[in-house]
Formats: sequence, structure tokens, C-alpha cells
Amino acid sequence: MLHVKDPIGANLDRPLAGEDFRAAERFLYTEARLLDAENYTGWIALVDEDIRYWMPGMETRRRDDKRGPYAYGEMAYFDDTYAELKVRVARYNEPSAWADNPATRHAHIITNIEAYETNDPTLVAVFSCFTNVRNRNEKDQDVIHGRREDVLRRHGAGFRLALRRIFTVHNVLLSKNLNTFL
Amino acid sequence: MCKAGRPDMKPAYPQAGSYPQFADLVDTERSQVDRKVFHDEAIYQAELRQIFGRAWLFLAHESQIPGAGDFVRTKMGEDDVIVVRQRDGKIGAFLNSCPHRGNRVCMVDAGKKARGFICNYHGWSFGIDGRLVGTDGKVYDTDPDFEKHAITLTPVAQVASYKGLVFGTFDPNAPSLADWFGPFTWYLDVMLDNDPEGTEFIGGCIRSEIECNWKFPAENFVGDILHAYWTHQSGAQAILGGGVDLGPQYDERAFQASIYGHGIETNLDKTGNTKTLGYPELVDYVFSQYDKAKDRLGETRARMVGAISSCTVFPNFSFLPGQATFRVWQPKGPNKIELYTWTLVNKSMPEHIKELYRRGTMMTFSPGGVFEMDDGENWEYCTKANEGWVTRHQPLHYALGISSKIDAPDLPGHIHRGSLNDANQRYFYTRWAEFMRFDNWSDLMTAETAPPAKAAPGVAAE
Ligand code: FES
Ligand SMILES: [Fe+2]
Repeated sequence: MLHVKDPIGANLDRPLAGEDFRAAERFLYTEARLLDAENYTGWIALVDEDIRYWMPGMETRRRDDKRGPYAYGEMAYFDDTYAELKVRVARYNEPSAWADNPATRHAHIITNIEAYETNDPTLVAVFSCFTNVRNRNEKDQDVIHGRREDVLRRHGAGFRLALRRIFTVHNVLLSKNLNTFL
Repeated sequence: MCKAGRPDMKPAYPQAGSYPQFADLVDTERSQVDRKVFHDEAIYQAELRQIFGRAWLFLAHESQIPGAGDFVRTKMGEDDVIVVRQRDGKIGAFLNSCPHRGNRVCMVDAGKKARGFICNYHGWSFGIDGRLVGTDGKVYDTDPDFEKHAITLTPVAQVASYKGLVFGTFDPNAPSLADWFGPFTWYLDVMLDNDPEGTEFIGGCIRSEIECNWKFPAENFVGDILHAYWTHQSGAQAILGGGVDLGPQYDERAFQASIYGHGIETNLDKTGNTKTLGYPELVDYVFSQYDKAKDRLGETRARMVGAISSCTVFPNFSFLPGQATFRVWQPKGPNKIELYTWTLVNKSMPEHIKELYRRGTMMTFSPGGVFEMDDGENWEYCTKANEGWVTRHQPLHYALGISSKIDAPDLPGHIHRGSLNDANQRYFYTRWAEFMRFDNWSDLMTAETAPPAKAAPGVAAE
């Protein structure tokens, strides 16, 4: 059973190649394009019903502190199952979601993509970096940088998102809210 | 400096002054607040001196630092502070600034079992009691004029706990923490003492930045349930499948209470706030604990445990009973705050219930939460609008429920009927004005916001 507290099980000596890699890459770009368009219903259709979606708070700790910058079970921005992601999507779809009305302008920029096989042939492990830019009203701008560790489940010719660990570079979130998925 | 005498390294605690011209910006006769208080840099500096330099400010929960040397770093106003458990079990707090050239001595958010704090600049090292214990190299040791024993990180003047919550004040003359709360503890106990084993924070702290004046979120939590209908319609719809509902007993039961500017609005509906976390199992749990809470707190307060309710402890510490989110609105200039949030649970709760509170606060009152998401922009534009010179001369309306005050002999404090009311916000700004006007605690503790004399709080009610 996959758990967000564990590493994603990438076999670094077995990278995905050719069309298989391009399909994984395309999956991330498709997802980003749907989120840019605020198409949350379309986005969640790419999500596996067993999804675990986690973005811990990032603390500043001494190098010798065994806890490290994050710890599973402590305060986080997201630690969601499918049911919880659906609640968030339901809010986005309400006309009175004022933080999204007028619309937010989004750019989910995805880079540094690497994809590897795991010990389970139905799952692949994908690393990526992101810059997330949100801009609202005249010039309210929020930028989040970070990296992601994903597990994608093979689904027909493509994939579904089965697990995502999101690690931002930020200690204090430099935004009033987080009205997107990363 | 050419005369080169010995320095006086005694900690300094700045004195308060008096700013009647700022106090007058709160017009209690007309239930109005002048917008300058949300904008003006000179007023903000006066707030740092008069309010954040004197008030008891929230520092930490004792559960965050259980053992000697365990520490967290936080803010008191804009002052960076280390809160650290001492070897004798007491809690100390110190300015996070080296007395040599002022560098931070602690760069991290938290840690365990620290033996002390070493400044990265010239290597002065301090014990967890704040005292200078060593310097890098031998230079100081051979300097006959160096008075090591006289040097310390500046201690926060007073540190005290109330049922697990640790507060500090920079004012050596401030009244005790118990006096600072007065009978408001009767309301705090709804969350802090509904179970004999007490409370704890779930690990970690989520922090975010909002470009608003700190008083907008503080007044929002002190008594603005009104905004929930409109602002949080989308979140309520997503979680509950319907709008915000204060329930059929609103007229008889809902009220606002204010003491020394601290305030709580509550609806006595038992589980209205808990329901919005979205887990029926949590609602069942709160119901299952109702009789126990009633034995401990009496009926009124037992009904508050999970109810639709919000609270601010003056000036900037707020929480939502039932939703378990605790937070500080740290000021960063007149136009910016840093929001620190934690989740509070009872120690005795089963692990899976604590976990549901953790997930529930993440789903609702966290930057990505379906409720909090829609708050920030309101407070930002309430603040930004005042950049307009003409705009900031326009009146603001704080007059909902001006004739709703009731005696309520069983409830401590100034009580107003109906939680949909600006009453607590009026008291919050009245308290703000008292802090601007008065340079001494005897005036501060006997001013208009002081609690009216009543029989022992709550006794008659139960
Ligand atoms: S500033 Fe801290 S040792 Fe010099
Ligand atoms: Fe709100």
C-alpha cells in the first residue's frame, strides 16, 4: 500500500524511455494545463481514487535535528484522500468562491521531469520541479517554487495520479491562500 | 565612544506613553472607527509601543516544549523571541538578538534538547537561561574589563501559563496573566478545560503572509460571524451541501461576551463548528463527550465546545472552538501580517480523533482550506482601499446591535444578545483606544472594557 510518508520507490537505474517517458511527461503537462484553466473537474478525472496527496509545512531546523524540515502527521497544507480533494473541487465549482471570482490567472510551470520504473510494474515514479504563478485583480501575485515526487498508475495508454508528495522551498507561505493544486 | 568606559548591559523595557489623538479615532458615541488606524505608520508604531510592548501575547503551548532545552521561536509584535523550557521545568522567553552586535542567535523554528544558543557572528554562546556562557577564543577571557556575568539575552519581562497556553509580556509592571484575562478564563476553559487531562498542540505550525492590517482578522474572530454567510457560502456548500445555518435556537441562545477587549461570539448549538470540518465521526465524538463536558463546565459551556463560535484574546490571538484552529496574527507593518496556525486537541482524545482534527483544520482553516481561502482577500482589500486619500476619510460602520446589550447575570463580561452583532468589535476597538490613551495599568484595568461586577462567573447559570 502506497503511503505519502514513504519515498516513492524509484529504481534510479531503470529510467522510463522513449514513448513511455513521453507519456509520463505528457501526463504532467496535461494536468498543469487543466489546472491553469481552472478545470478542476477535468483535473480530478486524472486522479486515482486511492490518491494520497501531501504537502507538509516546511520548517527551518538545524542540520543535526533528527526531525528534519517536515514530519508526517504534523501540520500540513494538504494531506488528502480522494474524498477530501473532491471537497476542495466542490468549493472551486461554487459561484460564490470569492477568492476565485473574478478568476485567478494561473501558470503551472513544470520542469526537471525524471521518470523511473518501480518494483510494481503498474506504477511509475516521477520527479519534477514546479513554479506556480497566480495573479489576480490588477497585480496580486503569488509565486510558489518547489519539487514534487509522484507515483503514476498505468491506465490504458496513459496514467492516473496515485500519489503526490509536494515539497516547497518556502518556510512561510508567501501568499494569503493556496487556491490551486500543485 | 572614545572615553571607553564599561557598558551597562541591563535589559531595557521601554515605557509606554499616551496618544489621546489616536485614541479619539475610535468614536464609541457613533460606533465608528476612523480608517487611519488601519493605515497610518505613526499609529502602527504607537501600537508596537502601547499594545505589543505591554500586552500579554501568546507564545506557545507547553506541549510543544516538554523537555529541558526544547524550544520554539516566535514573535511578540515584531520582536523575535525564543521560548525555551528550563532545567527546572519553568518556561523562559528571550529576545532572539545577541547583545554584542544584535545578530539572531537562533535561526531555526524549533528544536529539542538545546544546550544553548550560539551566535554565528563572533561565537558568543548563551545558555538556555539566556546567560552568556562563553565566547569564541580566549580574547575576552584575558580582558580584565569584560563582565561576562552581566551579559544576557534580554528576558521577556514576564512569562506565565494558563492551562497549557504560554503567554509573555515585555512590561515588568503588567498585571498577572490571571488578572489580564479576568473572568474571561470562564470562556477560555470551554476549549482548555473540557477534559481533565488538558490539551496539546499537534506538531508543527503553518505560517502564511496576508497583506492586511492585523486588526481586521483579530476583529473578525472577536465577533464577526456575520461574514460567514456571505464569505464562506462556497466552503459551507462544499462541506455541508448547504449554506451557513445558525440553527433554530439562535434567538434564545446566541450571544457575544467581551472582557478587556477579549471577546467570544457563540451560538450554543453543540456541534455547528465541528460539523464544518466534514467528518461525521468527529461530530459523533463531540456528542459522546457532551455529558462529561457538562459535568465539568455546566450546560452553557458544554454546548459551546463544538458550537459555531469564534474568539480573540486581545490583541492578536484567536481561535475557533469546535474547529480547533488556534492562531496568531503577527503584525508586520500596518499593511501586512504573518499568520501562525496550530491545531489544539485534548490529550485524552483517541489518536484517530486527533488525526481527524488535524485533517479537518487543514481542509477548512489553513491557506488551502475551503473557508480560510476566502477570508484573506477581504482583509487585504479592507486594508488597501485606505491608500486612497479621500477613501480613508470615509466613515466605517460598527453599529450592528447597538441596543442589544443585556444583563445576563450568569455570564461574565459585557453580554449582547445574538452573535450576529458588532458588539465585541466595538469593545475590541474601545480596548485598543484605552491602550493608546493610558500609560499605566491602573487606568487600563478599570476602564470601560473592564468586566462589570457580577456574582462568581457562571455559578448561578449551572
Ligand atoms: S553579534 Fe553575536 S557574537 Fe557578535
Ligand atoms: Fe472567515
